[in-house]
Formats: sequence, structure tokens, C-alpha cells
Amino acid sequence: MKRIQVLGPGCPKCARLAEVAEAAAKAAGVEYTLEKVTDINRITGFGVMMTPALVIDGEVKTVGKVPSAEEIKAMLA
Amino acid sequence: MAECCGSSRPKQAASSCCGGGGKNVLLYACSGGANVAEIADRAARRLMAEGKGTMFCLAGLGADIQGMVQTARDADLNLVLDGCPMDCAKKIFQRHGITNYTQAKVTDLGIEKVKGVRATDEQVAAAADAARAAIAKALMA
Repeated sequence: MKRIQVLGPGCPKCARLAEVAEAAAKAAGVEYTLEKVTDINRITGFGVMMTPALVIDGEVKTVGKVPSAEEIKAMLA
Repeated sequence: MAECCGSSRPKQAASSCCGGGGKNVLLYACSGGANVAEIADRAARRLMAEGKGTMFCLAGLGADIQGMVQTARDADLNLVLDGCPMDCAKKIFQRHGITNYTQAKVTDLGIEKVKGVRATDEQVAAAADAARAAIAKALMA
């Protein structure tokens, strides 16, 4: 089970990242949970001061951008 | 108060919100105890006030805070503003294998590293000029 977290205050890019991450997880055929983390204190707790950010299994994978579905699939592999 | 991406985040954080609009330039300054560190820090803050980039925490990189390391990796450009030839900031980037940086160094401007001496406005201006030039050159490359 992959734990995917999208860090961001709810901006359009944050929503876009959540969509792409979910699509990538489905395409990769992995079991996953997806959480949108909007609380600024939790976001900074990851050492992230720029959003959106993508976290997979507790590891910050990208910051300040929306990677492609293919890139996220590779991160989920 | 201005909002960031529809949230209640203050305007001062807007350059770091939603990945920003233009090039994502991050600024990392020496944070030592000598005058050259004060010069580097004040120059970086001046550039941030000008909108040339966003200052981030060099100590966080040195402490291997994973989210901060990834932030530097994903930037379009990191400006490393070292104070002296020890190149501590640059070495932190090298240790993490982060290559998307350009360096400027205060002592390269003919400023002597001294403890117990405050930075002058002229020295800060010179360091800011060097930093601006380094950013411009790197972004054009």
C-alpha cells in the first residue's frame, strides 16, 4: 500500500497534482491512499515551504511543481 | 491581506505559493559569525526584497531535512552566496549531489573576512550586485 500525500493549501496546482498523482497510481496498478494535506504546520513539518509538494511513503518527492503522470508512476515503482 | 492561492497565507509567502509564477530561484546565504556572513545574509535578503528569488534555510540543507533538500533539487536555480573560501554553502550542495546552483563569494569582491566587524552598506551592495550578476548569467546559460 502506497501512501500518497499532496501538500498544499488548496490552490489549483495542488488540486492538479492530486489528480495527476491519483491517475498515476491507478495506471501503475498499485494500492494507495491519497491524502491532501492543507494544514500549514503539517506542511512545514515536512521541511516544505513551497507548494504543491508530493510525498510518497513519507518521503518528499517533488516540491513546487506538478510532475507528469509518468514521472509519478516511476516514483511509485 | 493578500491571499496565496485562495488560502489565508500572507502575501510575503506568495512567491513560494503554488510554485510561483516565473523562474523558481532560491537564495542560500552563508550564516557564519564573521562580517562576510552578515554581508552574504543581507545581500540575499535584499535580492529577496527585489523579487530576484526566495531565501531558504542553508542550515536545513546542512541538517539533511529531506523536504528542504528536495526543494533545492526542484528549483530552477539555487544561488549559493558563500562568505569566504571555505565554501561551506557550496559544499553542502555538493554533498547532496545538487548541481543546479551558481555561486557568488563575498571574499572574491576583495572584502576581508574579519570577526567582530559589522558589514557596511557598500559591502552589502557589492555582494548583491555580484549575486544578481551570477543569477543572470546562470539563467541565460
